[in-house]
Amino acid sequence: MAELNETIHQPVRLRIMAVLVALEAADEVDFTYLRDLLDVTDGNLGAHLRKLEEAGYIAVNKTFVGRKPRTFVGATAEGRKVFREHVAALESILKRK
Amino acid sequence: MNISPDEAEEALATIQRMTQKTRHSFASSGAYIFLIITGVVWLVGFLATQFLSGAIVAYIWIGMSLLGSALSILLGTRMGPRVRGPSASASAKRAGIFWLLLIIYGIAAIAIARPADGKQVTMFIILFIMIGQLAMGLLLSFASVWWALPITALALVGYFLLPGIFYLWMGILGGGGMIALALYIRSRW
Repeated sequence: MAELNETIHQPVRLRIMAVLVALEAADEVDFTYLRDLLDVTDGNLGAHLRKLEEAGYIAVNKTFVGRKPRTFVGATAEGRKVFREHVAALESILKRK
Repeated sequence: MNISPDEAEEALATIQRMTQKTRHSFASSGAYIFLIITGVVWLVGFLATQFLSGAIVAYIWIGMSLLGSALSILLGTRMGPRVRGPSASASAKRAGIFWLLLIIYGIAAIAIARPADGKQVTMFIILFIMIGQLAMGLLLSFASVWWALPITALALVGYFLLPGIFYLWMGILGGGGMIALALYIRSRW
């Protein structure tokens, strides 16, 4: 039976994972775009991304587009799997209602 | 970790909301800027066609189109990619090829049909652009389909029912409509 994931369940991290899993596998989203989409501050988003990266659920890639530094974020295969399990666990709780 | 069914329901609703918002946003991201640019080009170009005559109209259209293209390229480059990866670049490539082929088909259709006047040429161009927008919307995000339909309808109404003020109609309702729609997208999405 699928289990709830405490790291993912935190509200901001849940929203981050929902955005990243909505992308196709191997696609990454720009940090500033993700920040605007979630309506959070740079610092807040950075802190939550670190937690998810430490857990191995997302990958953060810093790169240059032209001369500007850009950060791209994407869900890892492990992150997608754990997120699917988390959603399944939420659905099973709801079925027992 | 234990949570109540209400909390689970709320979390699932949040996930669903974010998934929808993400798909919607990716499909429309930056669209409002290009809608404003196209809207201004249409507004100025069609008003010039309605009220001016001679070579100046062609110069205004060429000037506005070049300015619009340059601004679109500049802003598109400055915004940079919001999503990158295999599927994003494949989609961008397919969209580019699609629009290129549509332009070639449009030119071929106009060359074969030999429209009698400027209004017919304008209608051909509008119909081809709106077909392209509909195809893009249906393939990428159904939410962005709807605005091509009223613009097509407005163009057809102007062409068949208001031929005397067709260009004025297209400038204000077509161009102005795009600008208004862009502002709506900016504020709501």
